[in-house]
Formats: sequence, C-alpha cells, structure tokens
Amino acid sequence: MAAAADRRDAERLVTRAVLIGAAGALLLLWVFPLIWAVVVSLKSETEVLAYPPRLLFEPTLKNYQDALVGGFSILPSLMTSLIVSSATTVLTIVLAVPAAYAFARLRLRGKRALGFYTLATQMVPPVGLVIPYFLILNRFGWLDTYHGMVIVYLTFSLPFAIWLMVSYMEDIPREMEEAAFLDKANRFQTLWHVILPQVRGGIAVTVIFVFLNAWNEFLFAVQLGGNTVRPVTVAMYNFVSVEQTLWAKLSAAALVAMVPMIVIGIAAQRQIVKGLTVGAVKGGGRR
Amino acid sequence: MRRHGRALAGEPGFALLMVSPGLLVLVLTTTFPLAYLIWSSFQSVNLAMPYLDGFVGLDNYRAMLQDGRFWHAMQLTGIYTVSSVLLQVAIGLGLALLVMQIPAGQWLFRIVAILPIVLAPVVVGLFWRTLMLAPNFGILDFVVQALGFGQVNWLGSPTPALISVIIIHTWQWTPFAFLVFLASLAALPPDVYEAARIDKANAVRRFIHITLPLIRPAIVIVIIMRSMIALSAFAAIFAATGGGPGTATEILNLYAYKTSFVELNFGYGSTLAVALLLITLGVSGVLFHLRTARRT
Repeated sequence: MAAAADRRDAERLVTRAVLIGAAGALLLLWVFPLIWAVVVSLKSETEVLAYPPRLLFEPTLKNYQDALVGGFSILPSLMTSLIVSSATTVLTIVLAVPAAYAFARLRLRGKRALGFYTLATQMVPPVGLVIPYFLILNRFGWLDTYHGMVIVYLTFSLPFAIWLMVSYMEDIPREMEEAAFLDKANRFQTLWHVILPQVRGGIAVTVIFVFLNAWNEFLFAVQLGGNTVRPVTVAMYNFVSVEQTLWAKLSAAALVAMVPMIVIGIAAQRQIVKGLTVGAVKGGGRR
Repeated sequence: MRRHGRALAGEPGFALLMVSPGLLVLVLTTTFPLAYLIWSSFQSVNLAMPYLDGFVGLDNYRAMLQDGRFWHAMQLTGIYTVSSVLLQVAIGLGLALLVMQIPAGQWLFRIVAILPIVLAPVVVGLFWRTLMLAPNFGILDFVVQALGFGQVNWLGSPTPALISVIIIHTWQWTPFAFLVFLASLAALPPDVYEAARIDKANAVRRFIHITLPLIRPAIVIVIIMRSMIALSAFAAIFAATGGGPGTATEILNLYAYKTSFVELNFGYGSTLAVALLLITLGVSGVLFHLRTARRT
C-alpha cells in the first residue's frame, strides 16, 4: 500500500516537473527575442555578422550612443511620438470620460443605439480609414502635420476609451450619487467631486492603454506622416530598409524606443491585465 | 426610489451635453471618412492616371470579383486569421491551466506575458525578420540548421513565409489570451472543484464538464477580439515580408493598402477596403450571435 502510494506520489511529481518544464519553455520562448535583441545591441557591427553567432564577445555601448546622439539619432522621433501620443491621450480622456458617464449612469434617449454605434466604430479596419484620410488630409494640406495625426489617432483611441470607462463607471455604487443629489450638488459637481475620484483607477488604465496604442501605431504613421511628423515606429522601419544590415544599431534603437512601453507594461501589469479582461471576466454581461 | 428616478430624468439636457462632444468627434473622425471610403469605392481615383477619375458605378466591385489576386488574398486572410486565433486560444488556455497549478511562479508568467503585448507590432516584425529568421544571421535559422534541417528560406519562399507571419502574430498575441484565461480561471469559485473532487471526477472530465463551460464566455470574447485584430493585422507582416515573396503573405488588408499606396489606385483600393470592412462586420456579427445564442 505504502509503496503504491509512493509510486503514485513519484508519478505525480514527474508529471508536475514535466508540466512546469513545458510552461518554462514557453516562458523562455516569449522572453527570448527580447533578450537576444539586447545581446545583439551590445555587439559591434563586425561582431554581429559572425555566423554562427558568438555568445562570448566584448560588449560595446556604441550602438546606443549612435541611436541616441549619433548620426542615426532617434531622439527627434521619440519626441514626435511623445507629442502625438500625449495629445491623443489628453483629448481622448477629455472626450471619453463624460460620454462614458452618460452611457453608464444617465438616462438618455437612444442610449443603446449610441452605445452600439460606438462599439461598431471600433471594428472599422484601419486600412478602411487610412485610404480616405490620405485623400481628405491631402485636400486640407494636413498630411504630415501634428493635428492631422492626432485627429486620425482619435479614431481608434476614442471608441476604446469610452467602452473601457463605461465598465469602470458601472462599478460605482448608486448610493454615492444619490447622497450627492440630496446634498443638492449639481450635475457637474457630482461628476467632478463624486464620480471622478471613484474612477481614478479606471482613468489611469485608460490613459495607459491609449498612450501605448498611440505610441505603437504604425499604419497611419507611415502613410499620413512624413519628414515633420515621423513617429518612432516609422523611424524603426526606415532604419532597416535604408541601412540594410546595421542590425545591431536597429536593435539598440528599437530597445530604446520600446523601453518606455516595457517599463509601463511591467509597472502597470496588474492594471493592464484588468483592462484586457474587464469584458472577458464579466462574461460581457453588460452588452 | 422616486426621488432617484426624478433626479436622473430631470436633466436630459445634461446627458446630451456629456455625450455629444465625444459622439460628434466620433462621427466626424470615423463615420465621415468611412462614407468617403464607400463613395470612393464607386469612383475611379487613380493618382497615376488622374485623367480617368470619375464615377464608375459598380465597375470596381465587378473587377474585384474577377480578380484572382483578391481571391488569393481572401484565402490567405482566412488561413492567417483562423490558424493564428486557434493557436492563440489553444496555447493560451493550455498555459493558463498549467500556470494555475504553480501558484508560486505566477507573477513571473504575468510579467513575461506582458512584454510581447506592449511591443509595437512593427518592432516585433523587424526583430523576427532580422534577429530570428534572417538567413545566415537569425538565431532561429542557426538553430534549425544546427539541428540538421538544412537551410529554410523563412521569409523568402511562399509557404515558410506564410507560416512565419502566422508564428510571429501568434508569438505576440498568445500572451493576451493567456492573461485573460488566467484571470478567468482565478475568478472561478473554488467550491465547484471541491464538489467534483469528492465525486472523484478526473482532471480531464473536470476540465470538460466544469471548467470549460464556466470560462466559455472568456473564450468566446478572446476569439472575437483576436479575430478582429488578425483580420486587420498589418505592421508585423509589412515589416517582416511586405506581403511577399510575391503575394504569398498578402492578406486582404495588405492588398488594399498596396493597391492604394503603391499602385496609387485609390478607387479600387477603397473597394478592397470596403470588402474587408464587410467581412469584419460579418465575422463579428456571426461570433456575437453565437455567443448570445449559446447562452440562452
């Protein structure tokens, strides 16, 4: 009996080890391309072309120096991305929070239809927008301008932000609003002093998502931008097509461009997961 | 309760005031360009041959139905979307179930899983094209050769290129499915398992009869969200293969893009984009319908 139990325990232990091993292998698969990019970014241009790739080499920071202050500096592009993403984020929040408040808390004729409309706009494939926007912005002379780019970025950030904020607004207990009404607070005061403090966390998550999506956007940026407005994603792409094999420099530049996102991702990991899962875990019961 | 109702109904103007700026901007920035797209799809808008511009009725749509490249792109879109979404769900769910068994290491998985998600797809495409898959340079190319499979031209020959772009997309977005499933599994009440354990139900039966029905809403949501994204995937494919070699990885999205911005045929490009829009709406409609139909 005891031997049989032992064997079962041993089997369970082996199964467990295999499972953990499999999970660990997948984990490695996800983190590996990033680690390898770091390794390559520390190699000199001659070292990088050695094949088979060498693991032992003298690391150099030259690529980072070039990516930041050298002839391949991506600092102007980083600045552009920062401006476009920040402006998009601020505008989106200012427009989305009141709209979400109305959708979640107020009586409004045609609310269902309007909510469905907002959801539908989120499903438009970006290529279906970049084509008309190219023609429209071209006619206005707004190609390669900051305001043109921010307008276009609102197309994907606004519907998403409204829906995300609605789910946070719905979580506020009714009693809080009622108490405010009893105190004869007007509508704006209620929104400002009662509702907003309650959804601070939700606003933070929305800010993170909108900023991240704007920073990582490529299709609109490559086609509607240009020499004035060239976000960092486009700069990365140009790097490879123009400088065919300067892959160590590309790795360094790409890592610099992605570091803000990686830092935000890790720091706000819990909030991001909550944002990703807000509809899924609830079972999407609200729509 | 009555006071409450009055308070809410009392100021319908306020609700309108709250909602109208956002909706107005939404109409101007999405619906207006979309109307322009549909209008363009009935026009000849060719920056290379502007003298032919004008209303052409259904000509673009007729041309599309007879366009072999369009049907090829449709086929690729189907293969790309279905396989990458299925892979994401299968691997993501499998890994989430695994990780649920090891509570101590979960934080590490959560952190690592967030990394691909926050990377720009264009950077992911570039990394894979250069660092992972480039002939005689990429580390994956090296590993495959070292294992004796010979040299595969990953992005330079049609079938491997299609497999590569599917792998790249799956690599980047499986963590999304994983994190959603992990959160859903963690939110399940523990007592449902207790009951099953007393019944001596084995792990597979527990999964099929208890876990799966409970997390089905999450699975359906992930399938809907990921299908929408896969149908419009652009940057990673564009950076890795540019739709090539030839048209081997040219999903409908890329075909519409290239027709417009490489061949400068905006009229026909609009038609292709309208087709993609209709497909996206159709797929989401079917998926949403499936979700509500199954639940009742």
